[in-house]
Amino acid sequence: MNDDPVLLDIDGVTKRFGGLAALKDVSFTVSRGEIKALIGPNGAGKTTLFDVLTGILRPTTGRVALKGEIVLGLRPDQITDLGMIRTFQTIQLFEGMTVLENAMVGCHSRTSAGFVSCGFLMPWALGEEKLIRREATRTLEEVGLETRASEIGTNLPYGQQRMLELARALASQPDILLLDEPAAGLNQYETGELSGLLTRLRDKGLTILIVEHDMGLVMDISDEVVVLDYGEVIARGTPEVVQNDPRVIEAYLGIEAE
Amino acid sequence: MDRSGVKKRLLGLDREYGILLVIVAFIFTVPLWSRPIPGSVLHMDIVNIMCLAGTYACAVLGLNLLVGYAGQISLGHAAFFGIGAYTTAILCTRLTWYPTWLGVLSGMVLAGVIGWLVGVPVLRLKGHYLAMATLGLGEIAFILFTQLKWLTGGTVGVLNIPPLSVFGFAFDSDLKFYYLVWAVVALILLFSVNLIRSRVGRGLRALHSSEIAADAMGVPTAHYKIRVFVLSTVLAGLGGAFFAHFQRYINPETFILSLSILFVTMVVVGGMGDIWGGLVGVIFLAFLPPVIQALPEWIPGIPEGLTNFGNYQLILYGILLIVFMMFLPRGIAHGLERGAAFTNRRYRLLADHVKARKYE
Repeated sequence: MNDDPVLLDIDGVTKRFGGLAALKDVSFTVSRGEIKALIGPNGAGKTTLFDVLTGILRPTTGRVALKGEIVLGLRPDQITDLGMIRTFQTIQLFEGMTVLENAMVGCHSRTSAGFVSCGFLMPWALGEEKLIRREATRTLEEVGLETRASEIGTNLPYGQQRMLELARALASQPDILLLDEPAAGLNQYETGELSGLLTRLRDKGLTILIVEHDMGLVMDISDEVVVLDYGEVIARGTPEVVQNDPRVIEAYLGIEAE
Repeated sequence: MDRSGVKKRLLGLDREYGILLVIVAFIFTVPLWSRPIPGSVLHMDIVNIMCLAGTYACAVLGLNLLVGYAGQISLGHAAFFGIGAYTTAILCTRLTWYPTWLGVLSGMVLAGVIGWLVGVPVLRLKGHYLAMATLGLGEIAFILFTQLKWLTGGTVGVLNIPPLSVFGFAFDSDLKFYYLVWAVVALILLFSVNLIRSRVGRGLRALHSSEIAADAMGVPTAHYKIRVFVLSTVLAGLGGAFFAHFQRYINPETFILSLSILFVTMVVVGGMGDIWGGLVGVIFLAFLPPVIQALPEWIPGIPEGLTNFGNYQLILYGILLIVFMMFLPRGIAHGLERGAAFTNRRYRLLADHVKARKYE
C-alpha cells in the first residue's frame, strides 16, 4: 500500500446543494511528494471539495481514498488521524491559547491519553505531554515562530497567524496537507517565505494540495495544476500547459478564446 | 491554565499547583479560627456554611469544566445533584445494611449513566437550544422526584438519612464532614488542574473556540463534549450525595431550577474557564444568604422582608449574572488579579514619582 504512488484518489465526486451542483464528477489524484494546486474562479467549488475531503461535507456521489483507504463517512478527526489535515481560508486559531498551545493541539491526532489518564497524571500521559511539547516547538521553529511561543496566537500579526495555522497542521505530521488560500492577505515578502517553506516541506517528502489565487505562487511551486470551474475539472497539467489552455483563460477572463 | 507558556512558579511548584497548595492549607485552617461568636453579629457558623459550600463545589467545579472550558451550557445540573442525593438517600434508608460510602458511589454512577444517556442526544444541540434542553431536563427530574412517591417519598422527601461513614468512621459532625468534603474538593481541584493542562484540556478549549477547526486538528469534538458532560454529571452526583448525608434529609424543593441557576451563577461570578474562579464563586454565593440574613443586626432599620432570602434569590442571581456578564465577564478571580496588578502599578508609579522628587 505504501508503494502506491497515488496518495489521494478523488473519484467522481459530486456534491449537490438542492438543485445546485457545487461539484460535478470531480476526479483527480495526488501523488506522493508532489505539490498539486487547485485553482479556479471564486465559487468554482474549491473549498467545497476541501470540505468533502476532510469529512465536513458528505458528497452526493463519488469516492475518496487516502492511501488506499476510503475516507468517506469518516468524521473529520478520524480523517486527520489517517494523515490528511487542512488549514482554513479564514484563519481559525484557538482563542485565548498561546502560539505554542495552538501548535500543541495539532499533535492531537498522534496522541491518545484520555480524560482519566490526564486527570490522574498517569506516566504515559506525562510522557505524551513531553512529546507534544517537543513536536510543537519543532514545528514552530520550522515556520519561524519559536520566539513568539508564549504569546496569544490571535494577537500575532496577520501573516504570522497564517504561519501558525500552517505550523498547527504540520504538528500532526501529516502525509498530505490541504492548504486553503494560505497566501491570502500576505504581502510579497511573506508570500516568498511561504513559497520557500512549502518547497522545503515538499522536498522532505510532504504531499501538498493547495487552493490559491496568487498565480505567481501557484506557478512557482506546483508540480501540477487542476482547474475547477462551476464544479467541473476543466483542465489539468503542468503550470505552463494550464496557463496556455484556452478554456482556463476563458474561465478566468470570461471571454471567448480564439 | 498554562496560558503564558512561560512557567510561572509559586512555592517551588508550577503556579497552579502552588495556588492549590495555598488554598488547601487555608481551608484546613478555617475551623481553627472561625468560631461563631455568640451574641455578636458574627454568629454565622462558618464551618457549617462551608460544609454546604463544599457539596456545591463538587458540582460547580465539574460544571466549570463543561461551561467554562468546553463552552457547553447546562441549566439542568440540579437534576444530577438530585439524582446523586436521592440515590444514596433511598439506598441507605431502605437497605439499612447498605454502606453509605457505596451509596455515594452509586449516586455518582447513576448520575453519570443518566448524564450519558441524556448527553448523547442533547449535546448535538448548541447554544440556546442546549440551554433549553437542559432546562427541560431539570424540570423533568423535579417532577419525577415529586411524583414517584413510592420511591422518593413525594414532597416529604427522604428523612433520617444516616451520616456518611467509611469503614466504621462516621462523619457525623460538621467538623468531620468539613474535612471530608473539602479534602474531596481538593482532589477534584487537583484533577481539574491536571486535566486542563493536558492534551484533553487543550482539546476542550479548542472546541470551545472553534468546533470546526478543533475537528480538523483531530479533536473528536462530539466525544469530548459527551465525556466532559458525563464528568460534570458524576461530580454533580457526588455533590448531591454528600449533600444528602450532610443535611440528613432531602426533599424535591432543593433540586429546582434555582439550584441549577445558582450553580451557573457560581461559575460565572467566580470566573468561567478559571478553576479557582469556580471555587471563589461557590464561597461567595454560599455566604450571601447568611450575610443577608444577618444584615438587620448590622444595619438597624432594614425591613424584615429583605432578610427572607428565598423570596427573591432568583432575582438576585439574575442581577448578579447580568452585572458580571457586563462588567466582569471573567469573574471575581480574574477581577482580583487585575485589581492587584493595577494597584501594584499605581504604587510603583507613586514610588517612582516620590523618588524623582527626592532627587530634584
